[in-house]
Amino acid sequence: MLGAFAAMGGGTQPCLAPWLGSGKTSRVRSILITGANGGLGLGIGRYFLEKDPEAKVWLGVRANRTNAQALVGEFPDRCALVDLEVTSKESWETAVTTITGVDGRLDVLVNNAGLHRDHLLATMPDEAWSSVIAANLDAVFLGCRAVIRPMMANRFGRIINIASLSAILPPLGQTNYAAAKAGVVALTQTLAKEVARSGITVNALLPGYIATEALAHMDEEAAKRAKAGIPMRRFGTPSEVASAVLFLACHDAAYVTGSALKIDGGIF
Amino acid sequence: MAQGEELRRKIKEVMVEELMLDFDAAEIADETAIFGAGGLGLDSVDALQLVVAIEKHFGLKIADAEKAKGVLQSVETIAKAIEAKG
Repeated sequence: MLGAFAAMGGGTQPCLAPWLGSGKTSRVRSILITGANGGLGLGIGRYFLEKDPEAKVWLGVRANRTNAQALVGEFPDRCALVDLEVTSKESWETAVTTITGVDGRLDVLVNNAGLHRDHLLATMPDEAWSSVIAANLDAVFLGCRAVIRPMMANRFGRIINIASLSAILPPLGQTNYAAAKAGVVALTQTLAKEVARSGITVNALLPGYIATEALAHMDEEAAKRAKAGIPMRRFGTPSEVASAVLFLACHDAAYVTGSALKIDGGIF
Repeated sequence: MAQGEELRRKIKEVMVEELMLDFDAAEIADETAIFGAGGLGLDSVDALQLVVAIEKHFGLKIADAEKAKGVLQSVETIAKAIEAKG
């Protein structure tokens, strides 16, 4: 495993199936990433595809799929789109049936889809509350429930929920988003206990400021202020989140479950 | 070994393997209660894994909690449900 991560850091050597570790038999692994048309989802998908030649990556997308389609074009044999409306139970069932029908398994779920609609609570429209809870919390519940049985049948699974630093350090205007993400952390820790005996781990990542389209709206002055509040004085990159996802997905992370890992450049 | 005995032996092996039980399959009697302090002492988390394992190994789908209550009482009740499925 150490060798695998050294290879990642080096950037010039291929990282051969880092999750195999511990002498596990090599098998094609099936990974589903939600919200895969966005910057972070795409970054995670690309990271899996580039770092592991065994990875088969399913990109969960809705109508907007241009970016995800381009990634499929780069890795046509190991990457595919799957229609997925994360707030729909039926859509999850269809997507999981499709994936297990093709791959015979689903090893890793990355619940990455989400949205935020910031308002002060006193003036928050009902829809801003309910849509954010649905997209960020209900979706994680539905996704986890949809994959648990196939993972239990294989006695192996890795669920990685992308929460947010807002779960523990909520900024003004994000009562909806922060509550949803804190809920994701609690769900993660509870579910981790429920499936621990089934070879399934469940972990959450709490990214801080990550340089994706979500920050693109930020003007230069606001970005400067934000960076001033980060000990590392810079935003993170999608690949810096993806590397943590890849670690949690590997066999050698088998004893890591119920964790909530901050990835934020040192914000406290 | 009779067919029924073979099925019951297989169920016990699946239970020990899939639920990572810390005793031998041969130690489980056909009528031993699966749940509760007087039996194997399994819990609701084990029950879900057992439901998935029974479907995987024997093709018996246990669709709801009510049916699970009836089927998951002992190795004997599981075997009878599998035999009834045909």
